[in-house]
Amino acid sequence: MGDRREFLKQLGGGLGAVALSQLLHEEARADAHHVPRARRVVQLFMSGAASQCDLFDYKPELVRRDGEKFDPGGKVELFQSEPGRVMKSPWTWARHGACGKWMSSLVPHLARCVDDIAFIPSMVSKSNVHGPATFLQNTGFVLPGFPSMGAWLGYAFGSGRANLPSFVVLPDSRGFAPNGPGNWSAGFLPAAHQGTMIGVGRPNPIHDLFPAAGGFAGPEADRDTLAALERLNRAHRAGREGDSNLDARIASYETAARLQLAAPEALDVSQEPDSVRRLYGLDRKACAEFGLRCLVARRLLERGVRFVQVWSGADNGFPRRNWDSHEDLARDHGEMGESMDQPAAALLLDLKRRGMLEDTLVHWTTEFGRMPCSQGSRGRDHNPFTWTCWLAGGGIRGGTTYGASDEWSYKAAEHPTAGYDVHATMLHLLGLDHERLVYRHHGIDRRLTDVHGHVLRELIA
Amino acid sequence: MRIAFPALLSALLAAEGAARPPQASPDDREGIDFFERKIRPVLVEKCYSCHSPQAKILKGGLRLDTKDLLLKGGDTGPSIVPGDPDKSLLLKAIRYQDEDLQMPPKERLSAAQVADFEAWVRRGAPDPRTGVEAKADPSAGKSHWAFRKPADVAIPPVKTAGWAKNEVDRFVLAALEKNGMKPQPEADRRTLIRRATMDLVGLPPSPEEVDAFVADRDSQAYEKLVDRLLASTHYGERWARHWLDVARYSDTKGYVFQEERRYPFAYTYRDWVVRAFNEDLPYDQFLVQQIAADRLPRVGDDKRSLAAMGFLTVGRRFLNRIEDIIDDRIDVLTRGTMGLTVSCARCHDHKYDPIPTKDYYSLYGVFASSVEPRDLPLIGTGQKTPVVLEYERGLEKLKAELEKYKQDRLAEKLKLHRTARSIADYLTAAAEAAALKDERALRDFGQQRDLSGHAAVRWHEHLKKAGPKHPVFGAWAAYAAIPEKDFAAKAGTVKLPEGANPLVAAAFKEPPKSLREAADRYGALLAKHDRGEALPDPHEEALRQVLHAPEGPVAVPLADVEKLYNRKDRDGHRAVERKIEQHKATHAGAPEQAMVLNDAPSPVTPRVFIRGNPRTPGPEVPRRFVSVIAGDDAPAFKEGSGRLELARAIASPENPLTARVLVNRVWMLHFGQGLVRTPSDFGIRSDPPTHPELLDWLALRFVADGWSIKALHRRIMTSAAYRQGSGDVPAYREADPENRLLWKMNRRRLEFEAMRDSLLAVTGKIDLAIGGRPVPMSTNPTVRQKMEAETIRNEGGGDPTQESFSRRRSIYLFIDRQNLSGTFRAFDFAGPDTHSPQRFQTTVPQQALFLMNSPFVLEQAALVAARPEVAGGADPAARVRALYRVLYGRAPAAEEVEFGRRFVEEEARRAGAVAKDAPAWQYGFGRYDESARKVEFRPLPHFTGNSWAGGPKLPDPKLGWLLLTAEGGHPGGPAHGAVVRRWTAPKDLEVSIEGTLGHRAPQGDGVRARIVSSRLGELASWTAHGTDAETRMSRVEVKEGDTLDFVVECRKDENSDGFSWAPVVRAIETGATTGATAAVEWSAAAQFSGPPGKPRRAQGPWERYAQALMMSNEFMFVD
Repeated sequence: MGDRREFLKQLGGGLGAVALSQLLHEEARADAHHVPRARRVVQLFMSGAASQCDLFDYKPELVRRDGEKFDPGGKVELFQSEPGRVMKSPWTWARHGACGKWMSSLVPHLARCVDDIAFIPSMVSKSNVHGPATFLQNTGFVLPGFPSMGAWLGYAFGSGRANLPSFVVLPDSRGFAPNGPGNWSAGFLPAAHQGTMIGVGRPNPIHDLFPAAGGFAGPEADRDTLAALERLNRAHRAGREGDSNLDARIASYETAARLQLAAPEALDVSQEPDSVRRLYGLDRKACAEFGLRCLVARRLLERGVRFVQVWSGADNGFPRRNWDSHEDLARDHGEMGESMDQPAAALLLDLKRRGMLEDTLVHWTTEFGRMPCSQGSRGRDHNPFTWTCWLAGGGIRGGTTYGASDEWSYKAAEHPTAGYDVHATMLHLLGLDHERLVYRHHGIDRRLTDVHGHVLRELIA
Repeated sequence: MRIAFPALLSALLAAEGAARPPQASPDDREGIDFFERKIRPVLVEKCYSCHSPQAKILKGGLRLDTKDLLLKGGDTGPSIVPGDPDKSLLLKAIRYQDEDLQMPPKERLSAAQVADFEAWVRRGAPDPRTGVEAKADPSAGKSHWAFRKPADVAIPPVKTAGWAKNEVDRFVLAALEKNGMKPQPEADRRTLIRRATMDLVGLPPSPEEVDAFVADRDSQAYEKLVDRLLASTHYGERWARHWLDVARYSDTKGYVFQEERRYPFAYTYRDWVVRAFNEDLPYDQFLVQQIAADRLPRVGDDKRSLAAMGFLTVGRRFLNRIEDIIDDRIDVLTRGTMGLTVSCARCHDHKYDPIPTKDYYSLYGVFASSVEPRDLPLIGTGQKTPVVLEYERGLEKLKAELEKYKQDRLAEKLKLHRTARSIADYLTAAAEAAALKDERALRDFGQQRDLSGHAAVRWHEHLKKAGPKHPVFGAWAAYAAIPEKDFAAKAGTVKLPEGANPLVAAAFKEPPKSLREAADRYGALLAKHDRGEALPDPHEEALRQVLHAPEGPVAVPLADVEKLYNRKDRDGHRAVERKIEQHKATHAGAPEQAMVLNDAPSPVTPRVFIRGNPRTPGPEVPRRFVSVIAGDDAPAFKEGSGRLELARAIASPENPLTARVLVNRVWMLHFGQGLVRTPSDFGIRSDPPTHPELLDWLALRFVADGWSIKALHRRIMTSAAYRQGSGDVPAYREADPENRLLWKMNRRRLEFEAMRDSLLAVTGKIDLAIGGRPVPMSTNPTVRQKMEAETIRNEGGGDPTQESFSRRRSIYLFIDRQNLSGTFRAFDFAGPDTHSPQRFQTTVPQQALFLMNSPFVLEQAALVAARPEVAGGADPAARVRALYRVLYGRAPAAEEVEFGRRFVEEEARRAGAVAKDAPAWQYGFGRYDESARKVEFRPLPHFTGNSWAGGPKLPDPKLGWLLLTAEGGHPGGPAHGAVVRRWTAPKDLEVSIEGTLGHRAPQGDGVRARIVSSRLGELASWTAHGTDAETRMSRVEVKEGDTLDFVVECRKDENSDGFSWAPVVRAIETGATTGATAAVEWSAAAQFSGPPGKPRRAQGPWERYAQALMMSNEFMFVD
């Protein structure tokens, strides 16, 4: 609700135009260290730790030794259990694509996209606790208080287009991952760079975008109120020249009014043809939720949003509503996998079809992996020693695999890779040198990659 | 600056960019940006190698790495003339005009780059670089201004007579005069009282206070005002909040795995800070109490000062990793009190400041020698009021519950461990584990076999102690000694020891075939003698003793029961413990406790952790103060942990930093910017003070005044500098856009707390109670807040229309550092993760949306409009005047009255035309009468908070399963007709309808839905059975007052008939009213509401007008 165009038109000639040009000026500051390959990012974050050895990391050894004692040598340290027996994946495996990548039958749709994807099956994490590990993949630090990647990009390139925020987060409708909104915080950067959370499918998708239920006064009334406000502010400003803070605040009401128009439009997937809605699985109960968010993500990217983070999985609780399958992997990963597979693949296909994949970086990740041995009899415990993330689009060489885990998928064996390296690579593709994107805080020049990070050139096309 | 340069060069770029607050140069941001994008990179890449300290030999005496030095120029004179490229030497050089002056010498700049320099100089050469940008020389570090004691300088002479009101002004004026500037005249009285009141108490002055001050003819009227405000108890609240930013205050611990997340008593620290400010506790004592109140002699029974130590203890808990907890304490202490970034030295010597790693670990040792007691000290009066008694009874009950839980578990475990099977299991395990040496390995071994690790250890040790001669277990020892493969062969040769228990001997008359069989026999034999009472036969009694003697392998005492727990038991135990913690945290009668630290019984001598890693300890260091202040051979602390000595070293008049840092913080909060612009970093790379001598003078006076913060306020606020107007002088703005010289007062925007408190205050209904437990921002969380804050997710439902808000001041709002509310975050609240030196001030549309649409702001606007002096105004003009008086403390001008009057009139006219009192949606039931083409609509009688139904219980005796929720409902049985959601048209319209009728269950026979217009009868119908049906209508005409009924009925069978259907009615605007596509819509889900009356209705014209006034810049800024 809320037709603001009239209001904006009214402002067009006067102060509004001046303030607006200042706002838009932010965009002009966009600046890169080198020529970018990617202009935007969509990140799919599997909260709770998605199991590499049930999705992407095929290990015949687990099939062969299913049920045997798990003895990879040395003491096996788990998060909350004693090591159980070797457990093969409940899903079957087959090769796919020209590259011949092994994929599990849990992700049949993604299996068709492998030639666009670069897998990193040798990811390692410093922490095997959800909260800190989730921070690590978002901000490069296990502690809170650091900016997440989307915020860094806002800092590097300016915080945004006039109509939509530059960093948007689409949380799982069932709730937040550990750390809550801390995962998309601006940390020590100004609050303007924090992620804007959009509750897809909610009546008020952004906080206070519209009055709460029952507060309805009508768009004309809202417009009148804003027009009155504009007049009050203009009168107040007379005699207070030269104060850009006053102008910025006046302009922020215009931006808000534009957001009221732009956000519902961007979120309205009814504008999409049925074929696209079906592509994302909106007609299937199992994946309609995540599908809707993936489709909305694409619409946001199309409309100039720079970084969209889509969450699959909420916080811990029973029954499981995230990837943290300690008790029953087949049941819980079965559900999560089915909810994620078709939409994630659809996003890749759809971006490709529209020619957007070329300069859109797709990053599928999680906070750590899961153990190749069982917990209890049917679950898997946390595994920070090896896990899988993947990248696609935006200058990434598809059909590649970088690094490898050992024969168990228990530890990274070849090219152990930290989140820093992935961040460095992503920044590189976005035209930024991760060592030069710094912000002085507490007397230290802080980076997304702390003091680490190598660009993984092998992944770049 | 957006993007910094390679690490190689970063040392050169000292005071620039990164740490600068975003409002640092608000006035020529464009120019600064231009410099950053176009000029600085070229300077760095092409010029610095010869014209900065990076050069081996500085060429031509010219440095281009600071603004001042660039302007000053080198041997041949100033490098540029701002505004005039043609007179600028630098331009001459880069244009390669003069054969003798061509720069850079080897490689000419591109034409575009030269053009950029021309544009930049023409613009006035905006340049944000300040300060000394040379790489710090560690040996020179200690001579840095901030590490030397403040100098008692002479008050500077000034030329302008009559302006200066006190010494502060002489410093300010002298600097202005030096730059050819004049200060602004004094602000008018209304501005002054608003400025002073917002500054000191954080609430707007009442209209009566404004009138009285404006009318006060006393020459000391202003001084009296400042004194009155300083005496207000609300002063403490305002300034405590500033200190809580420093102290990274929060009511929660941050990420925790399973333990209680709240700090139940953090508020006692917050309340102590409020009291300390109100009582003007001298700042040195203020600090000492916060660091070491536990070590101070106490007078009488008042233990409240112990709460001061929350300063150290309310930090994040980092999953209880002690090194991180201590790091956080070192950081808050050193940056908060001294502007020293000691935390930087955790892994390596500080890169810039003279702070070696060993200093960090000297402080580390102090905290590593301090502990938090398990039971925090009580600091309340101890009076047994009824609520306290209720709390104690509740606590006793919960403690008893925990005790019972433990006893039950113990009984259960012992019963299990005395079974034959269990005994045999442990015996076998003990034999297998004989080789395992340490207890931990044994415990793991037991757990891997699904046994209690603790019990396995006990059995193992018991058997070891018993040895081969033991009357009961001698036989076992003999059997266990036989290697497995020889067992069958050798078991027959075993001889029982002399004096063997005859019952055991009898059991082994026949040799066992395997060790397991031996174990089973023991199990059976012992279990047979599991009796509660002693047995008369000594041999039988000996067997009974194995299971029951306290020193035996089985009878674990109650105190050790937790060691027998499995995961489920532990979770159960923790659940009860959490109930206890929650009771302590939330019950109003819980006695106040102080979050103290105490000295550990024996202090530790710290070691340096190489690269900050506790697993690579380096050399020992003494616990002592930092060398940059105390010198390289400072004596070690002697008393206990040394915390009190540390506190005294910080709060010492000899410490060059402490007083300066505080004085600067107070100055910053009065002027919007500090004299030092990096308020928590006074190190080498900090921004040098704008008025170094003033800073020193204030610091020295502050100490001389007995560290009185109130005296400091008085000194600053009674200056003419503070009382200046905030008007613009374009020429000055050009020359000094950041107002470093204080040629005017800075206009300031209200930060979150002042804004929220002001919005509450102007309603006249703010709750000004002081102190106590934190309160949630919203008393009835909406869905949106529930999504936001885990802590409140499980606490009751939410009808968003019933939401109401705390009316307490913002300092008392619950602060959850893990899930900080979005409202806090949108308004640049100080992040409670680490010490916060200064708030950002960003302007984002989310702030505008909050003021436009949040239920909180709408509620405050409604309350303002309902104030008697507003609502009771004789005519519209009087009401406008009343609003201006209440909100702005002034009378409106004639045209403002006229504008307000017209606005309200226009809105009222429109409201009359559009909005009716009837709510858009009603909820009822009734049959669709096919012949009459009408629905007999009867309202559903009961609202549960999130659904409409026949009564509080489902099924209702009369109305069965009839139910409507925001998203759907249940149609009830054939007897009830159907469930009906009714929409009433507010005016003549064409509408479209969208929605999805959903029915999930494969059982039953599904539901039928119809849309019925009161004018046209049934418009469409659908059925759904385990399927979805799109209920879309592209165009329906309605007249004002018409209804559209969304009717859902069961078919033959009412089983499994829950459905979802939340239609959206959208107006299709036609004609010339608006040119654009209209977005007017009525969403059944979004607008779902409870009974009318209580819920918010459409805003009235006066409310809207009041809201516009409250959203304005006049309300949100202080001149």
